[in-house]
Amino acid sequence: MVKKTKRSQMKIQQTAFMLIAMTLLFVLAGVFFLGFKLSGLKKQALSLEENNALLLVSKLANSPEFSCENSFGTKRTNCVDEDKVMALKNNGGYSKFWGSSNIEIRKVGGSERECTAGSYPDCDVIKVSNTQQRGTYVGNFVALCRKANVKGYIEDKCEVAKLLVSYEVKNG
Amino acid sequence: MGKKKGQEEMVGFGLIIVLVAVILLVFLWFSFSNSKKDVVQSYEGESFIQAALQHSSECQDSRGNFMDVEDLISACYKKTRCSDEKDTCQILNSSLTAILKDSWRVQNDSPIKGYEMNISFNEEEVFYAKEGNSSVDSKGAIQGLPTGKNSQVVFNVYY
Repeated sequence: MVKKTKRSQMKIQQTAFMLIAMTLLFVLAGVFFLGFKLSGLKKQALSLEENNALLLVSKLANSPEFSCENSFGTKRTNCVDEDKVMALKNNGGYSKFWGSSNIEIRKVGGSERECTAGSYPDCDVIKVSNTQQRGTYVGNFVALCRKANVKGYIEDKCEVAKLLVSYEVKNG
Repeated sequence: MGKKKGQEEMVGFGLIIVLVAVILLVFLWFSFSNSKKDVVQSYEGESFIQAALQHSSECQDSRGNFMDVEDLISACYKKTRCSDEKDTCQILNSSLTAILKDSWRVQNDSPIKGYEMNISFNEEEVFYAKEGNSSVDSKGAIQGLPTGKNSQVVFNVYY
């Protein structure tokens, strides 16, 4: 009788240990799965930020605030009116119009000289919207056109430039 | 008899481990290959051609207007000259080469491995430039020129 009870206790112990081990295994698997999913979410959030910036940069050049419209003869695509952008840069009302993104236009092969009311048009970088936020940039090529004074005549002058939009890379 | 059964079980267990390992490897390969980012976006080649065609050159036409690259292409085909008697084909060549070099930096440590541009007007090649090496990964764009028959700009970036 005593022998039988001892054997039953052993069986119960075995079952208990097995249950504990199984629970631990499932908890570990759950933690692993959650960690995997959460890291995927972070990647997804970053990818969404990047896609937003890509979408913005690809449509910005043809938006009414930037595009040349009919100012340089026929209607042009991917053409940015430099005079319009300079006016936009000096208009504080547009500072948050495109969200929290930094928007810059850099002339291809140009210097680092920033365009201000004083330096324009002898400059190569126009910081349209500067939110002081650090981030990664995505870019698109545009034709940057303006009306230039050449020997007393007004001429259309277009240069290849890169329109850059930043997106924030969040850590942690 | 018992020993043989044990061996069969061992082989079965080994097969299951190999199968699980293969499935895991395939899963890992897919997850890593999906995370590879494109160095060049699909719209960049297209927008580059459009921007380059609008670039104003130093060549003035008979009315004193600065010709853009698109006008220079047809002027080069027609063998017309700038108002200061400069060769339009030479201006086209130097302008486009400079734009290409400044826009796409091909260096050893750069993600861009090379590029190729071909411009034909009325089925005749008026400009060709190639820099760096061709690679399997590339993004390209083709833009037709409305002023000529079978005229187009073909541009490829290798990365």
